[in-house]
Amino acid sequence: MTNKEILESVSNIIREVLELPNLTVTDQTSAKDVDEWDSMTHIQLISAIEGKYKVRFALGELQALKNVGDMVLLIQKKITK
Amino acid sequence: MPFNSYYFIFIFLPITLCGYYVLNYKNRVVLAKTWMVGASLYFYSFYNINNLPLLLFSILFNFGLTSHFHSPKKIISKSLLLKIGLVFNLGLLGFFKYGDFAIWNFNWLFHQKVEPLAMVLPLGISFFTLQQIAFLIDSYEGLNERKSFLDYSFFVTFFPQLISGPIVQYSYLMPQLENLENKKVNLDNITLGIFLFCIGLIKKVLLSDTFGVWAKPGFDELVSLDLLAAWKTSLSYTFQLYFDFSGYSDMAIGAAYLFNLKLPQNFNSPLRSKSLIEFWSRWHITLSQFITTYVFTPIVRSMPKINFQTTMVATVLAMFISGIWHGAGWTFIVYGVLHGLGLVVNHVWKKRRKKLPGILAWFITFNFINVTMVFFRAKDLEHALKVLKGMLGFDGVVIPKMGIKSVGFLKDYGVKIGTYLYPSDYFMILFLILSFYLIHQGKNSMLLEKEIKLNEKIGIFCGIAFVFCIFGMNKITEFIYFNF
Repeated sequence: MTNKEILESVSNIIREVLELPNLTVTDQTSAKDVDEWDSMTHIQLISAIEGKYKVRFALGELQALKNVGDMVLLIQKKITK
Repeated sequence: MPFNSYYFIFIFLPITLCGYYVLNYKNRVVLAKTWMVGASLYFYSFYNINNLPLLLFSILFNFGLTSHFHSPKKIISKSLLLKIGLVFNLGLLGFFKYGDFAIWNFNWLFHQKVEPLAMVLPLGISFFTLQQIAFLIDSYEGLNERKSFLDYSFFVTFFPQLISGPIVQYSYLMPQLENLENKKVNLDNITLGIFLFCIGLIKKVLLSDTFGVWAKPGFDELVSLDLLAAWKTSLSYTFQLYFDFSGYSDMAIGAAYLFNLKLPQNFNSPLRSKSLIEFWSRWHITLSQFITTYVFTPIVRSMPKINFQTTMVATVLAMFISGIWHGAGWTFIVYGVLHGLGLVVNHVWKKRRKKLPGILAWFITFNFINVTMVFFRAKDLEHALKVLKGMLGFDGVVIPKMGIKSVGFLKDYGVKIGTYLYPSDYFMILFLILSFYLIHQGKNSMLLEKEIKLNEKIGIFCGIAFVFCIFGMNKITEFIYFNF
């Protein structure tokens, strides 16, 4: 799976969880840019992504995530392991 | 020793800094780290040398335990190691911090007379314990490779953040230390460090300590407070705490910059927040991140289903833990639970997607924070209720004498006319106006750190501010978070 494909699929999950169907998501998008993206929706997002890719994020990995690009790279790392 | 002391500024800091760079210049990298660990332990012992064995024991135990995660021959399983580590760290914190609180509640509940332990809270225990818990969990989850004892000790004891944070992850701090470029003197970082340190010093010496004088009588001395006195008391404490802790954080970040190490930001103009959710993303940021990552997330994951209701339950639980982390007392429990419930209300409101006008949203948020701060500061619930009663006008309304006859009718409504305002009252009103201006319009140190161009003007500003603060430092006051 390429990073572009992961980004596309993660973007769809973000739109769905945040209930923002028209949101534009890029590598640089972060929680700071979207009002609806807070600690409550973040954990739902993480759970949805973990379910979709059948991966489990370590707690420390979650804290280190700065934007969607970091998330895509982390998913790539996990699924190619 | 406090950052706002002559000994720290004129003796400890310059000597530590010179030693560190001279050793690095001579390529004695290991010795330079050892020098820093030694200096940090000296810094810690300066408050009370009796606490040093506890810090060393905590470091040794945690290092030994986490090293075992990497051992090829494991005597005990990883999950059992994690449990032992958590019990050890939380047990240590619990024993020193909550021992007497538990005894007090036991005595009250069962009418017993068990003698309290009369423990003195070891300085910084809440912070170095959290930092080591994060390291322990990260190691368990395979995020940390084996570390040397020296590196681990540096990570825990680095003096700018040892006592009151910012709480930092190993993977954030230590790669910076290994970067060879960071072992050379960097004038830009030193200037930025001095600048941030001065900003913190101004917040502490000029603002926080001044507000502290106005907050104390209302909380600790007076039996009842009229309306204006109660608001003066609560607002003064909110500003005292904000300038104290954000000032401390600025000084810690500034001091770390002198060693070419960047610490994470802890405050981002929290008092201008327009919601409680926003407030907790701006106030004591590194604690919020710790609570979100290592408390809130595991609670949510332990729930059978992740939905709005379960995340709200986890939010209240996490805020309760955050509250009690600050101190052993019912006031902190009330503070934490109120913020947890406040966040639930905020999330429910947010789901409706109806926005309040900005000024109203700020007004509600600020007042909620100001009211809950009363619980945070008060000695016990009784003192907190005294201030809150005053703020609601239950203990009378006294307005200052202004020589205006037309306000005389207010007496019919129970309003008393007091004395004329003293010069110190005008001074306080000026400080409150200045503080409201600063929290809304002032550039915070996070922005200044990114945007500021260090030039002669800034140099002159720092010089004047520094001299001013140095003269104001004749009475060293402790930072509030040293008690937590």
